[in-house]
Amino acid sequence: MSRITLENIHKTFGKVKALDGVSIDVKDKEFFVLFGPAGAGKTTILNCIAGIAMPEEGVVKFDGEIINLVETAKRNVAMVFENYALYPQMTVYDNMASPLRSDLYRQNEDVIKERVYAAAKMMKMENLLERLPSQLSNGQKQRVAMGRALVRTPNVFLMDEPLAHLDAKLRNAMRTELKEMQANFGTTSIYVTHDFMEAMSLGDRIAIVNQGKIVQIGTPDDIYYLACNEFVAQLMGDPEINILSGLLRKNGDNYSFLSNGSEFVLPADAALMNKLAAYDGKSVDIGIRPQHVMYSFSKDAGYRDYQVYSYESIGNKSVIEAYPAGHSGRGDTHTHVRMIAPNGLTIKIDQLIYIDFKLDHTMFFDGSSKEFIGCYNEAGIRALSAGKEEA
Amino acid sequence: MAGLKLVHLYKRYENSGKKKSIQNNYAVNDLNLECAQGEFLALLGPSGCGKTTTLRMTAGLEDITKGDIYIGDTRVNDLAPKDRHIGLAFEDYAMYPPMTVYENIAFNLRAKKVDKNEIDRRVREIAPLMQVEDILDTMPVKLSGGQKQRVNIARAIIRRPELLLMDEPLSHLDGKARQAMRVEIKRLINEIKCTTVYVTHDQLEAMSLADRIAIINFGVLQQVGTPAEVYDNPVNEFVASFIGEPPMNIMETKIIKKDGNFFFTFEGSDLNIHVPERYYSVIEDGFKCKMGVRPMDLLIGDENSKGTPERIATFENLGDERRIGIRVGNTLMMLITENERRYKSGDIIRLEVRGEKTHLFDLETGNRIREK
Amino acid sequence: MNKGSKRLLTITQNGLLFIYAIFALFPLIWMVLLSIKSDTQMYTTTFNFTPTLSNYTEVLLKTDYFKYLLDSLIVAGGAVIISVIAGVPAAYALARYDFKKKEDIAFQILSFKFAPEILVVLPLFMIYQTLGLYDSYFGLIWVYQLISMPLLIWVVRGYFEDISVEIEHAAQVDGYSWYQIFFKMLLPLIKPGLVSAALLAFIFAWNTFTFPLLLAGSKIQPITVAITKFLGTDTAHYGQLAVAATVSALPAIIFALCIQKHLVRGLSFGAVKG
Repeated sequence: MSRITLENIHKTFGKVKALDGVSIDVKDKEFFVLFGPAGAGKTTILNCIAGIAMPEEGVVKFDGEIINLVETAKRNVAMVFENYALYPQMTVYDNMASPLRSDLYRQNEDVIKERVYAAAKMMKMENLLERLPSQLSNGQKQRVAMGRALVRTPNVFLMDEPLAHLDAKLRNAMRTELKEMQANFGTTSIYVTHDFMEAMSLGDRIAIVNQGKIVQIGTPDDIYYLACNEFVAQLMGDPEINILSGLLRKNGDNYSFLSNGSEFVLPADAALMNKLAAYDGKSVDIGIRPQHVMYSFSKDAGYRDYQVYSYESIGNKSVIEAYPAGHSGRGDTHTHVRMIAPNGLTIKIDQLIYIDFKLDHTMFFDGSSKEFIGCYNEAGIRALSAGKEEA
Repeated sequence: MAGLKLVHLYKRYENSGKKKSIQNNYAVNDLNLECAQGEFLALLGPSGCGKTTTLRMTAGLEDITKGDIYIGDTRVNDLAPKDRHIGLAFEDYAMYPPMTVYENIAFNLRAKKVDKNEIDRRVREIAPLMQVEDILDTMPVKLSGGQKQRVNIARAIIRRPELLLMDEPLSHLDGKARQAMRVEIKRLINEIKCTTVYVTHDQLEAMSLADRIAIINFGVLQQVGTPAEVYDNPVNEFVASFIGEPPMNIMETKIIKKDGNFFFTFEGSDLNIHVPERYYSVIEDGFKCKMGVRPMDLLIGDENSKGTPERIATFENLGDERRIGIRVGNTLMMLITENERRYKSGDIIRLEVRGEKTHLFDLETGNRIREK
Repeated sequence: MNKGSKRLLTITQNGLLFIYAIFALFPLIWMVLLSIKSDTQMYTTTFNFTPTLSNYTEVLLKTDYFKYLLDSLIVAGGAVIISVIAGVPAAYALARYDFKKKEDIAFQILSFKFAPEILVVLPLFMIYQTLGLYDSYFGLIWVYQLISMPLLIWVVRGYFEDISVEIEHAAQVDGYSWYQIFFKMLLPLIKPGLVSAALLAFIFAWNTFTFPLLLAGSKIQPITVAITKFLGTDTAHYGQLAVAATVSALPAIIFALCIQKHLVRGLSFGAVKG
């Protein structure tokens, strides 16, 4: 139970700069997610907190106290490793009991038994306690690794991609279970993942990590709706957000957006238009989520001609990817548009499809720096995001 | 090009003298399957279900215990793999390391002593299709997973096979590369119009790629149908829970009669769901079975809704959608909504169920109970 | 493949294995047979003899045979113990830490085994004379490290490399100190490799001949050297020689049988890792 602060952490491995000035401040009892692509430095941040890696520069604080020089064993952290790191020669019970049998956190065997059974019950694996790790499936190993962390009351739970090696179905189910358990944790938790659904679902706040730097920190709604640049917007969401590049032009009282030879008249939003004023005549990118693209198989007014590139199921719904009619489907994938459709449609590849955008759901990015400019209903979204934080 | 027909196909592995292996256990059990000319058929099932064995028998890499395999009109049981006119793209990209990509692709044709100019023409023709033009002179070790798989498929189709067999070709790729490659395979097959049998354990791949899906479990064929058919009309509990993500909610239920209407009731829950009238002829008061309903067919009612008030156990905001979990007895029933409201666990919602979308499954066999 | 041909294959396989077994065991069997023949029967190739234990009484009771055996045990056993104590930490360091010239050092250690013993033994003889290590237990144990240490380090290093470093991290997080981790977590995991490497090292040390022949003299005589005594100046007492060899082979065989389970697993494990 503590507040974890990292200030300006630098860490290099040989010539590779793994962390480049990372600062985060995790509040007491917060569930904090580190999210980013592979190799971004997320695990190194965890290792710095656990004391497994030593930063060359910067301080790590637990409740305001600098602990850079405190060794791992004495930091009282519990960690779940990506490859589970179970002790292969010990039964599940002994694995889970091991933190309570070390000199520092020793408990008597009755207490250990009670705690192990409580954790096993929480992880729904009472029947596995006598087995060896080699006799467990990946999902079960994951539960044991989690259980081993749960038997203690540490300063902080560190979780390094605990669900990464499970297949899609199990991963989703486990994520939901974790969400249900989360309320009972009552401990500061830092969770590393590269799966945006885990980040969105579990995080009180999310820090986006890329190339050893923190790109953005915010609530899930902040990150999803007010992504600070195109990179973040593209990370959040599956299928990926559609980015259209074009030119902004003032057209009477309104602005219009010219892209790929077609003109989009932007709906009014005073706050946004003020921000866009500086970009008149300049290149901007707009980001529009697939669920805000409408399609039709008959030519409706205002709809543009596209051809189907692919039609794919993503579970309970499907994605249509389309390219501007007349272009070749190959190459040039940045002109493609993705949209959500139900499962089970009869769609042929390359058939015509008509598309329109719900422009009042778009985000605007600077055409050259790719930084966020603004979006529709920004005040409303900020209120939504803040509302969740209070709750 | 030709179709594929499997007739009463069996496969049993001889036990090698070990006591523990079970006698009479068929890896493939009485499989009847037809893949029409030009069709893309996916064999889908969990690992160890016999789908790969079936494919290997078709390719001639595995003995047939009993039954017949026809490619086109030819019975191929006794033909050697090379005489079956098939193209193979397997899970592990077995490329010849000392040869360039070009030589790897051309290898089969060279082995057949095809004219050199003809080989070159065909390689140049196929390279742009698989987007490997730029890497023809590269050595296999330098390729990424996706590129290797492209070369692998190019190698399979350059022979102009009558039948293309693919075994989990995407299982080594991750995330976005996998999705991109999936689209490419789909477009490629659409272009060359080759009869294709595709083995996978990933239901999304099968749903996305195949014209028809054959679902196999424990060596037994469960259902064959278009993606829409197996999704909307599963024949049993296994298919229902295997297809779709998150899977169909399936819960044990007892049907009771109230005021002339039937309702699903659940142990440890006050949830009541109206049974669609079409089932009235096959059920009675106190009838026990399992009820299945997809997460998309659960709805959040407004203030005036007649739905059962239910407590939210989990609320997950996933950005694109929101998922709500509700405890019904021991199972967590999932609901997917695009409603923008942010709930939190403990909130009460009015749960409505699209009763007409519910499925009934037999408690013992798991088979779907159909209306008469 | 039908059942008939499968059966034929099994028979052929077993037959070939049987022939190989005879081939491999023949020297051992011959040695045991020799040890129970009298000197007069020694050169007859016909198979008529009356078993006699006279060779055994001659060797075991009337010579210092057990003293030689004990010397061997002390020297080979001591060498292995030292190798384990020094080699396991070295193997750990080579597996886990990154330091300059790491691979060079590892190769250097292995290269001790490359040089033919006869080549290095002469300079060693001079050095040992000067240092007063000649004909001492310590001196022999020391030089035996050339045989046992490289083997042990290379096998055990492979085992350490196979243990994911996260297991150590997990144990650190669980509150264990490095020594506790080493003894409680790591040692049990490398046990199969350690046992098989130690056994092999013991056998090699037990069998070595050149080093003790030249670096030990009258006081210390390991069994391999002592056996040569039975080649008298006038005649070779093959019977006694066979007895000495048979008995001296016993400890290694008994060891190997006792830890056969570990041995097979340990060696094949290493083989798979390559």
